Amino acid sequence: MLCENCKERPATVVFKQETSNDVIERHLCDKCAFYSQTFSFSPDQEPLSIQQFLAHWLGGSELFPEQKADERLPDGPKCPSCGLTFHRFLDIGKFGCAVCYETFKGQLPRVFAKLHNGHTQHRGKIPVSLNERFALKRKLEDIRTKMQEAVENERFEEAATLRDEANQVKQQLSDGGDDQHVI
Amino acid sequence: MSFEKFIKQELTGWMVAEGEHADIVLSTRIRLARNLQDYPFPISATQEDANDVSKALNQAVETMQDDHFTSITMEDLSPLERQILVEKHLVSPQLINPKKHGSVLLSEDETISIMVNEEDHIRIQCIYPGFQIDQAYEQADQVDSELEVNLNYAFDETFGYLTSCPSNTGTGMRASVMMHLPALTITKQIERIIPAISRLGMVVRGSYGEGSEALGNIYQISNQITLGKSEEEILKDLESISKRLIAHEKKSRELLLAKSEVHLENRLFRSLGTLTHSRILPSAEAAKCLSDVRLGIDLGIIENIDMTILNELMIFMQPGFLQQYAKEELTSDKRDILRAQLFRDRLGIERSAAQEKDNDSL
Repeated sequence: MLCENCKERPATVVFKQETSNDVIERHLCDKCAFYSQTFSFSPDQEPLSIQQFLAHWLGGSELFPEQKADERLPDGPKCPSCGLTFHRFLDIGKFGCAVCYETFKGQLPRVFAKLHNGHTQHRGKIPVSLNERFALKRKLEDIRTKMQEAVENERFEEAATLRDEANQVKQQLSDGGDDQHVI
Repeated sequence: MSFEKFIKQELTGWMVAEGEHADIVLSTRIRLARNLQDYPFPISATQEDANDVSKALNQAVETMQDDHFTSITMEDLSPLERQILVEKHLVSPQLINPKKHGSVLLSEDETISIMVNEEDHIRIQCIYPGFQIDQAYEQADQVDSELEVNLNYAFDETFGYLTSCPSNTGTGMRASVMMHLPALTITKQIERIIPAISRLGMVVRGSYGEGSEALGNIYQISNQITLGKSEEEILKDLESISKRLIAHEKKSRELLLAKSEVHLENRLFRSLGTLTHSRILPSAEAAKCLSDVRLGIDLGIIENIDMTILNELMIFMQPGFLQQYAKEELTSDKRDILRAQLFRDRLGIERSAAQEKDNDSL
């Protein structure tokens, strides 16, 4: 058998490399094997292995308290788009597609709470093109939180400015249609 | 334009020693993870999916106004060329896996790199020299906003940006600051600081990513949490922790200098001697000595060396670059010999030029 890399010298070394999914096996000559070693990388160098974290810490008693330790976990919901089961998600620590989020919606707050210091809801940037109205609602919530803080700390002038700002956002929202939840 | 430019150009934007607190902060990096709604994530994508994603990205990038990008497909590069892109921190080690159909879009000045089909469909990365958190974020945010006009991002009102790994869900943002903290390391204070920082939702690791080992006393501080906090809050937290670390490092340097000046000088000059006179220089020793020389320059003990050269050498001393320089594959031993020669040449030329200048002015 010839070396897979140089295709000149005989393959004398079986070179195995573990990735997050599988083990790659390559048949190489001495020279190419050495060369491969010098370029070897471990692709998963995260200090916290998410796979281990989810599988060992969350996988057992935490998410399924009724489960006995030695019993295999149920597969849980299965993503209709990519076929990933919740059990497999815990094993590999990765989602297969965007639909997985919808499929595992019920289980995810517990997973996220553990990974993100108790947080389960996004509070950051929103794609403007996706939903301008949603962005306005979020902005209004933020202004209200700041207003509350200002009132509590007796910064009434700042609170008044924030109230005006909130009214403006409310106006923008009502221009775009009624929304009973917001006003 | 060919990718060769990016391989051959040793000095990339972030290596220039400038920006705020450039004596302690080497670089600031922002990374945003994004995915397209209609395609499976790279972990479960077919080659066809990956090609479609790559095509969509290339088209979206073409419509961007201010920046010109060069697209480089990983499959077209040799292992050595791929490794050089990693050593320049332009792509992640994960992207260069030849089975993954990854590619990268690089801006002219190498400040922006958009990785395609890494763990997520899109990873926008901006690296700036020194401490420039806001500037780096503004740049990444702008690229993101321009891309979203033409791309249908996977986004959910509750979970935010949907990413392959749940540790990135939400903002998809990882902000990190690379710092040189020799005094905190020498005085062993760093050992107490690292666990304290992790309790604040931040993580500290070695700059080259190898576990927690901080080669050359260089540490990377980044946010661990991406969900439940806005980008601004995350950046503010990182900024405040970084500034406290900078202040702490400065104070420790002053104390070291005050308490054991001669011992410190002895150590720093010995390291300079090693770098300028060695015939065999292993990478760990080179990294340690570079750290000492950098500290010596910051403290005004070592003169006539430009910090930018040290940043360049830090990248140049790595195996990929050495082999590129030698134009052949090298054993570890030969690399150590070439590394020693490189340091002698580079630092020697600089110092003799500086001395000449001094003599002329006399």
